[in-house]
Amino acid sequence: MSWHLDQDQLHRYANHTADDVTAMSVEAHLTHCAHCRDRLPTDDAWLESSWADLRDIVDRPRLGPVERLLGVMGVREGTAKLLAATPALYRAWLIATVVVLIAALTLAHEVPRGTLLFSFTAPIVPLIGVALAYGRGVDPAHTLTSVTPWAGYPLLLMRTCAVLVPALLLCTVAAILMPSSATLYEAVFWLLPALAMVAGCLTLSRWMHLSLAGGIVAVGWVLTVGIMALEGVDPLLLFSSTAQGCWAIALTLLTVAIVLRVRTA
Amino acid sequence: MSGVEGASGVSARGLVRTYGTRRALDGIDLDLGPGVTGLLGRNGAGKTTLMRCLSTDLEISDGELRVLDRSPERSTERTEIRRNMGYLPQNPSFYPHFTAFGLLDYMAVLKDLGGRRERHEEVRRALRRVDLYDRRHSRIRRLSGGMRQRLGLATALLGDPRLLLLDEPTVGLDPEQRIRFRDLVSELAVRSTVVLSTHQIEDVAALCRRVVCLDGGRIIFDGSPGELVDRARGRVWEQDTRPEEGVTSWRLADGRHRVLLPVGAPAPEPAPPGRVAVEPSLEDAYLLLTGAVGGGR
Repeated sequence: MSWHLDQDQLHRYANHTADDVTAMSVEAHLTHCAHCRDRLPTDDAWLESSWADLRDIVDRPRLGPVERLLGVMGVREGTAKLLAATPALYRAWLIATVVVLIAALTLAHEVPRGTLLFSFTAPIVPLIGVALAYGRGVDPAHTLTSVTPWAGYPLLLMRTCAVLVPALLLCTVAAILMPSSATLYEAVFWLLPALAMVAGCLTLSRWMHLSLAGGIVAVGWVLTVGIMALEGVDPLLLFSSTAQGCWAIALTLLTVAIVLRVRTA
Repeated sequence: MSGVEGASGVSARGLVRTYGTRRALDGIDLDLGPGVTGLLGRNGAGKTTLMRCLSTDLEISDGELRVLDRSPERSTERTEIRRNMGYLPQNPSFYPHFTAFGLLDYMAVLKDLGGRRERHEEVRRALRRVDLYDRRHSRIRRLSGGMRQRLGLATALLGDPRLLLLDEPTVGLDPEQRIRFRDLVSELAVRSTVVLSTHQIEDVAALCRRVVCLDGGRIIFDGSPGELVDRARGRVWEQDTRPEEGVTSWRLADGRHRVLLPVGAPAPEPAPPGRVAVEPSLEDAYLLLTGAVGGGR
């Protein structure tokens, strides 16, 4: 290049004060002249920030479907990442839940008293999901994640919500499709025991691994139902209005215990 | 930024950690500052338990522990420690379906490392430091053992931690990668406290200006590598014949035997054929310290 831009031309171009014709001429020259490009005053911070933006757009990994869906629903990007990263066992649990609920529905429609399977399965479906979602021995990356600022109750409660939302939705849909489901009560009678058992599991996790806590509560439920059946007591009493009151009290107390634990941990 | 930014190191007084009735750590007194400290000891000596206590993964049973001038027993202070600490556990495992980038990004979210762009920049920086940038979009299940180990190291490096706890970090690394690792750790140790728990004595010899040896949950040596080697001076020799049983020895490539004479034991007389005193290595000194008995008959 035999000629170069003078300082005034460069200054006016950089400050957007050059007229259109001059600006186009300067721009055409700069395209071919490295010397003048080097003399062009630049905002290094802005340039670096722009490059960083560009790098991030080009190099950003593709989001998975769950993360995208959560983003569309307005969930914060970081939170969506934490929720979507729940271990693969969570997905296995979700598939198993759908299979169990379809089986329960089929039985309920085909077999006399077939709704009993649903009655005693629905309350522990969310519990098993919570127990499998997080914890040493279940979460493969637990040794890495357990010493991060998010570890402990914050992550546990977030993942519990991630499990409870689909579990409660699926169980509610199944309950509505039950042949006997004519009233609101018949659609949600399992809800309070389910939530109380999840709260019990979270409370117990203070002293033991979450999966063990979930196992203990689930076994307790199955044993209670079994013993009542063996003793000739109708296990459906576990869903009576008196029992629902007891479940509500238990849920309240356990929730208070969890909140206190989170605040004082 | 919190006060942790300028803080570094670890201070432990009478640290005890029990599992049931077994005392895995039995009264540890330790002060660590910037630089690399090597943690040596046999399997079951308490190294990993100590690392887990320092990392806030395990609660201590008794004693006093401060990490980065904070108490791990208080929730808010524990969170501050975790924000400024990197921990590579022994045999880390990952979500195999994640990509290398995805895992680090997930860990960066858990470490509260800012918005998406800053986080991604930090992830790229960590991947470059462990030479995995070109494999950033590979699924972890497709990475070799050495690459996974480097990925674990990258998770520990996120956020430029003031305290870096590395438990067996060079397992599975090839010689070239180990040199890169040493270079990286030396660079980090200029301003951060690095604790390196390992069985790789050569890593300790190359990196550490201080060595802490554990046995039975207690500290049996705390000093420089040179001081540890001095203890072995005059107690290491090579000879033509295999020594008597009960003495640590091994056969060398040239058919001679390297012999370590336990501290306090008299040298056998008359001298075995071909006996020549040799300069002890750090490994010799460590073996003498722990009273390891190998070779022999």
